Amino acid sequence: MRLFLGQRAWVLQRVTALVLLFLLALGAATLLTGPPLGYERWHALATSTHGAVLIVVFFAALGLHGWIGIRDIALDYIHAPMLRLALLAVVGVILFAIVIRVVLTMAVHFARGA
Amino acid sequence: MRLSIYRFNPETDLKPRMQDYELAPEAGDKKLLDALMRLKTIDDSLSFRRSCREGVCGSDAMNINGRNGLACLTPLIGLKEPVVLRPLPGFPVIRDLIVDMTQFFAHYHSIKPYLINDTVPPERERLQSPAEREKLNGLYECILCACCSSFCPSFWWNPDKFIGPAGLLQAYRFISDSRDTATAERLAYLDDVYRLFRCRTIMNCTEVCPKGLSPSHAIERIRQALVRESS
Amino acid sequence: MRARVEAAPKFLNLLQIRFPIGAIASIGHRISGVLLVLSLPLLALALDRSLRSEAEFAALRDLVSAPWRAMLLALLVWAATHHLLAGIRHLLMDVGLGSGLSRARTSAWAVIVAAAIVALIAAARWLS
Repeated sequence: MRLFLGQRAWVLQRVTALVLLFLLALGAATLLTGPPLGYERWHALATSTHGAVLIVVFFAALGLHGWIGIRDIALDYIHAPMLRLALLAVVGVILFAIVIRVVLTMAVHFARGA
Repeated sequence: MRLSIYRFNPETDLKPRMQDYELAPEAGDKKLLDALMRLKTIDDSLSFRRSCREGVCGSDAMNINGRNGLACLTPLIGLKEPVVLRPLPGFPVIRDLIVDMTQFFAHYHSIKPYLINDTVPPERERLQSPAEREKLNGLYECILCACCSSFCPSFWWNPDKFIGPAGLLQAYRFISDSRDTATAERLAYLDDVYRLFRCRTIMNCTEVCPKGLSPSHAIERIRQALVRESS
Repeated sequence: MRARVEAAPKFLNLLQIRFPIGAIASIGHRISGVLLVLSLPLLALALDRSLRSEAEFAALRDLVSAPWRAMLLALLVWAATHHLLAGIRHLLMDVGLGSGLSRARTSAWAVIVAAAIVALIAAARWLS
């Protein structure tokens, strides 16, 4: 857990925020330019190598950023150590599972598209 | 003028209560503290701290109409009535508007609020260039009234672990002092989930500082120094 | 004496404290963050369904046809916009841009108002 000591969690929160910001801007620029977004275009974009990788990176950054945020809230309001640990563990497992789920989703659709 | 004041006497009261007062200010009563002093002549059981009555000692910090401030620096003109006075939020109440500042000062002492320099002292004094001295402006003026820390949500939730804006402002005052040689140790002490990093940059501290200082800016600079240090 | 200090009351009624605008923006940042974390499973699910077939993709677009779902989505639009804008504000303040009090107040107002407007536009579009 050294990763989350002191300033590291704070830096990680900023770094993941910057990654999300960049990917959101990129996504918005891609989706809002060109032909209107229908299934065909969305599918082609998302299942391209770039698209699939960036979507996975996006969800991974989202999960990490979200967990650090929940941890900040827990550090403020929940003072029973075991309760806080349990909450952070549960939230961590759920967020991790969501990221894994997205990886599988993208792998399946990527394989099918290729 | 009408006032509504938080009253609590540990000898007789189980719970705090609000007491309403009607007061006719006299010529020369310009600040809230003047009104409180006049009130004290009517009801001498009313307790509050005050000393210099001009914003230097920092004793009469209180919550005035929902915001922290010094009674001696708050003009009576423009105060919404009834003027609601409560003790500093989040601090244990000793009596009426008097709060227990023990923890606040413990945090202040924890950051070693004094010059650390183990090199042999020069004949007369450790000199500073005007530019180096300039860096202490906006930091050294703090009077430790606790308006900021007591208005900081992060301090409310972790008053025992988060140093709070007042202590962090003083920490930065010594970090940025060219004569101090303990910068690395000071930064290492602050690099902690609680001590420094409970701050969420809400800026309530800077909003209420009666001396116009900016603890949030000092905290921002400490974080930047930590990033520079570790990169 | 010690027991008395520990039993001392504290004034901390949040409804009786007048919060500066920065504090409102900040609690909004926190609440919107929690909402976004809670919506993360739905977002992952939506991603999967959007890629399955033309019909599933269209079904996602029709989500807003039910008013309660449109309201919920508008709430998430608020959360995403507020969190994004407040986050950009903090990132800029971290490097010293707009971290002075008057600018920070202005940007806090801007974040709150802009997020509310975006959410209202979304709600108006989907509910009409």
